[in-house]
Amino acid sequence: MFEILLLQSLVSGILMGGIYALLGVGFSLTWGVLRVINIAHAGFGVLAAYIAYSLLAKTGLDPLLSLLITLPCFFFGGMILHRGLIRPITKARETIVASMVLTFGLAIVVENLMLWIWKADPRVLKPSYSGTAVFIGEVGLPIPQLVGFGLAAAGILLLYLFLNHTHTGKAVQATWQEKEGAALMGINLQKVSEIAFGMAIAAAGLGGVAMAMMYTFDPPVHNFWLIYMFLVVIVGGVGSILGTALAGLILGVITGLCMAFIPYQWINVLTFGLLIVVLLVRPQGLFKTGV
Amino acid sequence: MNADFQDVIKIKFSSRRGGGMKRKMFWFVLTTTLSLILLSGGLAGAQQKPILLGGSLPLTGVWAETAKVIQKGYEFWVEETNSKGGLLGRPIKLVIYDDEGKPDSAVKLAEKVITVDKVDLLLGGYPGTAARPVMPVAEKYKMVYVSMGGHMASFTQGYTYSFGAPPLMGEWWFLGGFQWLETFPADQRPKRAAVYIMNNPVGTALLPSVDEYTKKLGIQVVIKEKYNLPLPSAEPLVMKAKQMNCDLFVSGGVFPDGVMTVKAAKALKYNPKAYFQGVGSAIPAWTKELGEDGNAIVSGTSYHEKLNNPSNKMLIKRVKEKLNLDSVDTYFGFSVAWLQTLFAGVEGTKGLDQTKIRDWLKKNKVDTVAGTFTFDEKGLPPPFTYATQVVDGKIELIYPAEIRSHKGVYPKPAWK
Repeated sequence: MFEILLLQSLVSGILMGGIYALLGVGFSLTWGVLRVINIAHAGFGVLAAYIAYSLLAKTGLDPLLSLLITLPCFFFGGMILHRGLIRPITKARETIVASMVLTFGLAIVVENLMLWIWKADPRVLKPSYSGTAVFIGEVGLPIPQLVGFGLAAAGILLLYLFLNHTHTGKAVQATWQEKEGAALMGINLQKVSEIAFGMAIAAAGLGGVAMAMMYTFDPPVHNFWLIYMFLVVIVGGVGSILGTALAGLILGVITGLCMAFIPYQWINVLTFGLLIVVLLVRPQGLFKTGV
Repeated sequence: MNADFQDVIKIKFSSRRGGGMKRKMFWFVLTTTLSLILLSGGLAGAQQKPILLGGSLPLTGVWAETAKVIQKGYEFWVEETNSKGGLLGRPIKLVIYDDEGKPDSAVKLAEKVITVDKVDLLLGGYPGTAARPVMPVAEKYKMVYVSMGGHMASFTQGYTYSFGAPPLMGEWWFLGGFQWLETFPADQRPKRAAVYIMNNPVGTALLPSVDEYTKKLGIQVVIKEKYNLPLPSAEPLVMKAKQMNCDLFVSGGVFPDGVMTVKAAKALKYNPKAYFQGVGSAIPAWTKELGEDGNAIVSGTSYHEKLNNPSNKMLIKRVKEKLNLDSVDTYFGFSVAWLQTLFAGVEGTKGLDQTKIRDWLKKNKVDTVAGTFTFDEKGLPPPFTYATQVVDGKIELIYPAEIRSHKGVYPKPAWK
């Protein structure tokens, strides 16, 4: 009996961790490449969840298909946002602090926009496969979480391939590693930054829909999501896509093990205790070789 | 010199010329006119001096949706009372400030309405976290404060001017549900319970009624766990309950974790005989968002639109006539019940002396839309909740039998 509980806890934890990783990769990208800590990142995730919810409720469109509409909109919306809001503050002496203040305000705007459109009522994304599971023995794998995990795996893989196997992706990495050097090599920094920000916002949208497969959501929920995003990004190493992905899985495994072995009320203590330990031992994150 | 004054001089002249009749007429007209002026002036004065009823609600922020329902309830009941001649023959004027649900703002605004606006009556606040810190303010200024209160602990601090009429008491939440289970023969009742409670004051407040009644009904509590919000994953909780053959599942949480648990129970094909849920299933979003998956879930409330007492029937009728609404939100009913209690105290004492109102409320029965209440020294009615169950997407009253709107569904059918 205990083995089943342990396996169930591990599986549930890993599925959860993968989804958090997806939400975190875009956040990590803007932080690492643009030196912008986008506090509104999770807010855009919630916005995508609401759009998927509305499309499902009004047209019956599956949340996965709704991404075909949402992701391009979020990508181009992110680029416009960068041009109008983010670029001006990159001239500030303390870009990171300025970006946090600016995007904190942006998060409030996004939250209030959602409150205005959808009200404060909590929502549940219920595609046709909600409440169903695939069983391996007695261990159940809920299909919505599996779909969310699949989105996470696909999203992270695509982002990784883009950054490592395309010219633009390599330009993004070059900008991150040595901004002036990249500019001297003829890389259009503004364009690269806009593309990176657009991709991050699109990843937030993808992550938001994956999160909504698992959790209920309301406009202020982005504040909770943000805490876990910080966790996976800091543990994984800022700017490291694979690091964020692995940190998400580690978070999931630890949560799963905690759920099997210790009283539930201690899970957060242990999880965030781990964050403190990582910051003390490897402040640059587990999977990053340099700050 | 205006024409009226010229007339008066003229009359005076005439009287001097020896017109006794005219002099009498002059005094008659003068006294009658002055009396009419005084009388009409007095009435106008009374109309211009309404009873001020004030306080704060979170009209913006995350609590705003529910607070606006409470505001509507307050406005509706004040209009109803005013249309019947007001309170003590005076109209009531409502003053509501926005506290954004912040306890410190609620305290400041309570001080403001009492000391600056000089309200005659204090309005009940929401949510419990904002209402609780107003209770000592009410005590300090000796103002009767009728609201939902915070939780049981907020009523055991020695405050004498605060009333829960009805309160929303976590400690009582599952009373109705367990009393409903008690109506079934012992061999049909659940035998083993899994109890998961969110680790905060509201969640832990649910435990006393669970402990008391599981013992009373001979139900073995095989799992009793607290969890912190947000709940990371519900499947392990449900799997544990399933593995340990628990046929009563108590999910003492709020909407997000409640929904996660229901979805997990359905996905893992866990079918207990009875499924109790905390505050989550008492809100309209439960049935709206979960659909038939939300059915057969048992919870509690201290007001329901289907209560069959005369006061509530009248409220439903008037809401239909005036607002053209077929249903009344729970918090609309709460706000009306709180005002009914406060106004009963005013009418009972025929005045606005707060100490007299307080003492009157503690000695007399009060009829409200939520039922007839008496209050103890703490300002609370005897422990009660009505058991509710979601049946065909509607939140129905299932216990006590005399007020039920639908027969309770037991055992809970398997997930579809």
